[in-house]
Amino acid sequence: MNDLGKPVPSSPTRRDFLSRLLKFWSLVTVIPIGTAIIRYVTPVQRDVDVRESLRVASVQDIERNTAKIVRFNKEPVIIVHTRTGQFKAFSARCTHLGCIVQFKSEGTPHFICNCHGSQFDINGINIAGPAPRPLSPFKAKVDKSSIVVSRI
Amino acid sequence: MSRFLPVASSVYRWLEQRLPVASVADYFSKKVVPRHKHSFWYYFGGLTLFFFIIQLISGILLALYYNPTQEHAYESVRIIINEVPYGWLIRSVHSWSANLMVGTLFIHMFSALFMRAYRKPRELMWVSGVILLFVTLGFGFTGYLLPWDTMAYFATLIGTEVPKTLPIVGDWGVSLLKGSGEVGAETLIRMYSIHIILLPLVALFLISFHLILNQILGSSVPIGTQVKDPPVPFFPNFLYRDLISWVLGFLVLISLSILAPWGLGEKADPLASAPLGIKPEWYFWPLYQSLKIIPPTVFSINGEMIVNGVLGIMSLFWLLIPFIDRKASIEQKSRPFTVVGAALVLYLILMIGFAYFDI
Repeated sequence: MNDLGKPVPSSPTRRDFLSRLLKFWSLVTVIPIGTAIIRYVTPVQRDVDVRESLRVASVQDIERNTAKIVRFNKEPVIIVHTRTGQFKAFSARCTHLGCIVQFKSEGTPHFICNCHGSQFDINGINIAGPAPRPLSPFKAKVDKSSIVVSRI
Repeated sequence: MSRFLPVASSVYRWLEQRLPVASVADYFSKKVVPRHKHSFWYYFGGLTLFFFIIQLISGILLALYYNPTQEHAYESVRIIINEVPYGWLIRSVHSWSANLMVGTLFIHMFSALFMRAYRKPRELMWVSGVILLFVTLGFGFTGYLLPWDTMAYFATLIGTEVPKTLPIVGDWGVSLLKGSGEVGAETLIRMYSIHIILLPLVALFLISFHLILNQILGSSVPIGTQVKDPPVPFFPNFLYRDLISWVLGFLVLISLSILAPWGLGEKADPLASAPLGIKPEWYFWPLYQSLKIIPPTVFSINGEMIVNGVLGIMSLFWLLIPFIDRKASIEQKSRPFTVVGAALVLYLILMIGFAYFDI
């Protein structure tokens, strides 16, 4: 109130103005800061040396009816030397929740995942347990007594 | 002794002029704890706090020697266990106390549910408590990887894949947890920083909030329960009783830590097949077992997605129970919530049992 009994509008108006300004400022800063944080915590795909094919083992390394797990780029790949002498390769990651599968040579050869009991036949097809898809196949061929794995 | 009294009283006077000790003490002295036939269950909140304090202390000590890198993590835990004086004990206490804390937290939570302690005006105590449950499970999950042994590695491999069937954010969630395409060095450092910085800060804030509400609102009495007179003053009577439960908790903890010291498996090898018996900690067994028994597809919906969906809906329901149970908030019995709680307890026990016996 001033001495004429009229309200003095100036100070509340200034506060109103500043608080509106503050709200506006908060809004325009929260969004970019939030975006920056989300982008920061999201891992970047770094350029790894992606190879189309890789010489991963020699034929003598894997006896018949056994398997070996090798790293192909970032993927663990299981190479099986079948009873009939073929080489087959699959991603060793179980399609259920990503555990590394194991080759079982007894009886009918197959793959099992010990984490939740999924099973895959020798062609990588899911036959039991919670796995929803077959193991992803890779190409395995013999080149001068070594095994070369490549993408299909 | 009496020579020190004038000093003590002048220190007190000095303090009183700067911090109103007397009025704060007076406020706390008014807190009482009701007495009735179910008051036994009041001790489990305090016990959970006790184990949390043990976690803070033992965790700070472990951090002095632990090395959160893929090359050295396993070795540093091995050194803590085998070479650092009493290192085996500190590490064992940290692991056992974590498990006991989850146990007492579950008891505290279900007793609050069955006694309808969440009803008006304590809705926010329940909500903060449920968030603390999630934080605690987060502590368990992020801490499990740190020793970098085979069990830790594969359990984390599975755990970080769990969000992948979530719509839209699934793949992003997985990469956020792993820090890269696979469980490796980036995952370890993420888990470590979440475990020792983010979660402790959140937990301390929520625990303070939970305890301040408890101070303001007092302990809840179940609907229709006869209260004995007079109630127990919190300071010092109930505090002494709480401390007795802490002593008992400590005895259990130290006995387990010494008689069954926590072990360390083989160092994780990312190119080895998962061995038999890969399991998370027991409090994740209901989730583990549900993921194990659900078929790949149910009515052409992905099985994991169903488990995740049910888990998400249950978590939301659990968080919002005080607002869903309208009857309890007007002091009427609400039987369905007892049934839901009992069914959940039964499911958890069954699944933990199945997982234990590898069914």
